[in-house]
Amino acid sequence: MGFLVLFEQRQGVIKEASLEVWSLVQHLAGIVGETEIFGLVMGDADAAFISKRCSGKGEIHILKDKTFGDYCPRCYAEAAVEMVVRAETEKVFLANTAMGRDLAPRLAMRLDAALASDCVVEAEGAGMLRAKTTMYAGTVSALIRTLRKRTVYSIAPGQCRFEGSAEESVVILENREACLLKPNPVFKEIAYNRDGKDIAESDVIVAGGRGVGSKQNFVMLESLAALLGGAVGASRSAVDEGWRSHADQIGQTGRSVAPKLYIACGISGAPQHLAGIAGAGTIVAINRDREAPIFKAADYGIVGNISEVLPRLERALGGFQGMK
Amino acid sequence: MNIAVCIDRVPDTSSRVSVRDGVIDTGSLNMVLNPYDEYALEEAVRLKEQLTGVVVTAFSAGEKDRYDVLRKALAMGADQACLVENGRSEDSLSVAASLGKAMRSHYSGRPDLVICGRESSGCNRAQVPLMLAEMLEVAALGAVTALSIQDDGLRVCREIEGGVEEFLIVPPAVISAEKGLNIPRKTNIKAVMKARKQPVLHIDGSVDDAPGVLYSDFTPVSRERGGKLAETPEDLVRMLQQERRVI
Repeated sequence: MGFLVLFEQRQGVIKEASLEVWSLVQHLAGIVGETEIFGLVMGDADAAFISKRCSGKGEIHILKDKTFGDYCPRCYAEAAVEMVVRAETEKVFLANTAMGRDLAPRLAMRLDAALASDCVVEAEGAGMLRAKTTMYAGTVSALIRTLRKRTVYSIAPGQCRFEGSAEESVVILENREACLLKPNPVFKEIAYNRDGKDIAESDVIVAGGRGVGSKQNFVMLESLAALLGGAVGASRSAVDEGWRSHADQIGQTGRSVAPKLYIACGISGAPQHLAGIAGAGTIVAINRDREAPIFKAADYGIVGNISEVLPRLERALGGFQGMK
Repeated sequence: MNIAVCIDRVPDTSSRVSVRDGVIDTGSLNMVLNPYDEYALEEAVRLKEQLTGVVVTAFSAGEKDRYDVLRKALAMGADQACLVENGRSEDSLSVAASLGKAMRSHYSGRPDLVICGRESSGCNRAQVPLMLAEMLEVAALGAVTALSIQDDGLRVCREIEGGVEEFLIVPPAVISAEKGLNIPRKTNIKAVMKARKQPVLHIDGSVDDAPGVLYSDFTPVSRERGGKLAETPEDLVRMLQQERRVI
């Protein structure tokens, strides 16, 4: 039936979320016995990097054309559709990022494909895939039955931690110029301003909620994150208070993240927030309210004030890291 | 300029969704206007206030129980409210098809601008706006956090991972509103009373298209983990190092 992975690049750098999808697809293909695997990178990206990070079987095409430098909804949709038709793939996979959420419905419409969005996919034996998603702010899971010959899957982050296949990569890279699109008079892309680190790509996230108490107090979180080489996120309450920008909001209504370590500071643990960190490896909760729901949803917890616990935690970590 | 706003009716975010035998039990839910659609309505009404000759029409696909959210749209400043009837509701494709059909018949063509909420806070699919755009064959952009009118079109921004994207869209177009686009106004009692007297138009939204997906086997999700409490930060560091090796 053929699998196609759509990679996302920003300024030539392939997103970690896309690499996860590639390894998921390799894993699924192994179980269902799919041998036709394709990848498509829209925009110029480092072929050597892709070759190094994408193990397994398959053929990855890089469209080096300048048109694809920034996300252009129409160009991306057209190029992806062209690839699906050319490679005769029935399953299209992409990461459920801001771009994936924007692109996937367009693709599904143009391909007359079923759309399984924000989903986790498992192999169900010979040729069968099973997609599940969550609704109602992540509190209810549902099975997605797809009713078309083709399906577009946008994959929720953090659900696909598979080691690269042990066998030597047989990924073939093919650079090609894209289909030459006419300039679009009604849809111009102006600018892409990179203004910070992508919290979703951090292995460690230190996030703060209303319990942090003030915008200034986030300095403590910044300091701890810096020590751990991580990023700072926020709950909806902290964003509503104006302490952090909306781009930092973690949860079903903001960003879904899947770091190895997630430290929730002064976050009570609303269902929406918990849904956004479901893929995290280890969750640590620091909260002064012993009854806060976050403690049950965490692997480890400490009951106490942020302003007392964080500096001590940082010292303890510093001492530990000094020993290494 | 005709602006269409698509609105949905969803469970209040504070209500607890219960599941019985794999099916959502909707009986006990308090239903409200989808919060993301409030941003969409607010933006449409602001455009009406800035420009002349703007007509804002709210569309909602479903049964008569949607009168409440349609009246709220009127109270927020929409000029007209349309109930889109006889459609299917299995998936986003069905809903988008109904809305598209209703708009084409209401406008004898298509509106200049469609504003939707980013997603419904119930199903969380974020698919209808972009599918609707494909059906209307217009440009679209999802999850918009800023919009301004320029001489040559609408300048819109959206937040992406680690940055902001900026686009220029020339109508006709569909955009979906993300939190941060604006702060929706509160409706006052006078506007609510007035909205109650306004008629709600009924438009046929019946479509033949089969749904693309079906959702089934609904199951409550447990987020519970070990919840092991450390006495001191020093203990915590030891646990993270010895039991998890994450630091």
